[in-house]
Amino acid sequence: MRNRLQGIVGLGVAGATMAILSLAVGPLAGQAPARPQVPVPGQFPAYTPPLAADKRPDLNGIWQAFVTANIDIQDHDAQPGPRPEIMGAYGAWPAGQGIVEGGEIPYRPEALAKKKENVANRMKVEIHSDSRRHDTGDPELKCYRAGLPRAVYMPFPFQIVQSQDKIVILHEYANALRIINMTNPSEAPAESWMGWSNGKWDGNSLVIDTSGFVPYTWFDRAGNYHSDALKVTERFTPVSPYHMMYEATIDDAKVFTRPWKVSFPLYRRMERNVQLLDFNCVPFTEDLLYDHLRKERKFPPQE
Amino acid sequence: MTERGLAIVRTAALAAGLMWLAAPDVATQNTPPAAARAPVAPMPTAPAPAWRPPRTPDGHPDLQGYWTSLSFTPLERPERFGTREFLTDQELEQMFSAGVERSYEFTFANSADTPVYDATVYALDAWQNGVRPNRRTSLIVDPPNGRLPALTPQAKAERSWAPRESFDGPERLGLGLRCFGVRQPPIPTGSGYNRNAFIHQSKDHVLVEYEWESATRVIPLDGRPHLSPNIRPWRGDPRGRWEGNTLVVETTNFRPEATPEDGNAGTLRMTERFTRLDENTIEYKYTVDDPSTWTRPWTVILPLARIDGPLFEYACHEGNNGLVNILEGARNEEKGRPESR
Repeated sequence: MRNRLQGIVGLGVAGATMAILSLAVGPLAGQAPARPQVPVPGQFPAYTPPLAADKRPDLNGIWQAFVTANIDIQDHDAQPGPRPEIMGAYGAWPAGQGIVEGGEIPYRPEALAKKKENVANRMKVEIHSDSRRHDTGDPELKCYRAGLPRAVYMPFPFQIVQSQDKIVILHEYANALRIINMTNPSEAPAESWMGWSNGKWDGNSLVIDTSGFVPYTWFDRAGNYHSDALKVTERFTPVSPYHMMYEATIDDAKVFTRPWKVSFPLYRRMERNVQLLDFNCVPFTEDLLYDHLRKERKFPPQE
Repeated sequence: MTERGLAIVRTAALAAGLMWLAAPDVATQNTPPAAARAPVAPMPTAPAPAWRPPRTPDGHPDLQGYWTSLSFTPLERPERFGTREFLTDQELEQMFSAGVERSYEFTFANSADTPVYDATVYALDAWQNGVRPNRRTSLIVDPPNGRLPALTPQAKAERSWAPRESFDGPERLGLGLRCFGVRQPPIPTGSGYNRNAFIHQSKDHVLVEYEWESATRVIPLDGRPHLSPNIRPWRGDPRGRWEGNTLVVETTNFRPEATPEDGNAGTLRMTERFTRLDENTIEYKYTVDDPSTWTRPWTVILPLARIDGPLFEYACHEGNNGLVNILEGARNEEKGRPESR
């Protein structure tokens, strides 16, 4: 019944009228199920999501993006990746179409220079016992929390655990957690890597405003970055049982001349018994971050 | 850092704390809690009579909110109590006051002028974080002597081989110092900082976050099988179910580096039970069954007290200055420069 109804709704206004009629009179005897449309990328038929017990759209589940934006949020060609002499094709990075609407990121001129400096120094890691550790190097390389919106398009799943006054988004990457306040919006009490989030429902969309970020996260390996003035407004809109459209508006007047937007679909992970596993990358970074502090270096610097 | 170095830091911190106390404008705003604290009701040890726990819209017992696992009660019972399970009123008052004073001292020993934290600002001490008196003489309630059971001969032999801590590199320092963000179950207790938890429920999952290391577990309730033994998440692999008003969570697939009380990851099975006792208390009870480590299972009851929240992000690795300082200090000391920074 439900599938057939959804198919009918997909036919448009006339279909919607029919659906209402069929709702009113119940299943029509002998009617063939409507044939589903051939999917067209970028287009989803009209969709009504299932509701949770509190009558809000039910977004519970494990989701993942399948864009290559973690490499570069803008259009990019395939690249060899670092250390091709030992990594070969293992270390190579795929090409990808960007997620920035309009293609361009409206950097202030001095900020664009900083972006270029970031990418030049993305693998330069200098660990000090103070915030200078954040001056160079992609935070991902160091296994630091990804911040927003990067955490959403990192190549790792995340889980939405939905209650009534709070919604939690837990990322497999670094076990990073966001708690979204759905009632009583409040200001960030302290800065953090994943920010301070207040959410609300707008029709079927979950809209989340997040601020209170540390200025250290990047948007990608290409050095795109922000300041502590970053505000991210996200929209998660269910568009099929297996997809959500995701949009994030990035507003940071210290770095950009105007707000700009990224968007891409999210996919529901459908493997039987799928669950978030651990990507605790801290142990994988000790040789990179701390070898110079060992009594005997495992990797002495090469001349 | 050497023992002597630590002693110097401690002395300096204590002096700073005393000066802080002496400043009159501040002292009036922050009356010493040990002297001024209002009496706090002890936590219940059984469900309130005729009290029915609230339900979520999905119909499950509602465990949600912010809770503290702070406790002044030792894991193992002091031997003088024998098999006595509960303190007298007088003993309870003494034990709780001593705990408050110790944690107050901790706050001021870590105050503004020390190189690490200003604990007075962050309210890191137990008293400011909602600790409540616990009538029990120990957190362990079984075996009846309130103490960990005897180790098996195998476990005894293995423990005698345990490598010592070393400052030669990060490898032989604690997982906490290395910010592995592990914090495996059980919910951590003690009177230190960040002994808080956040519980959150959807229709088919329960999420438990510990503020300490922001370690988060997602517990499926759908009866699925455990992961393959080839997959060993840092916080184990939990499976939950409702039994009446109680959430029961069975956890297996621990990692060898991160098991409760250094049990054997290959054989250890942990069962946790969460039961609301009243509006402001959860009884959190867990049993560790690991026949290759202990000669019998053992059980803990750790009551959780409701607090206001929120929990803060514990970005340990991102700001792990401590590990850098420890290793740099050790390297400097080898070069005969213990004071260099």
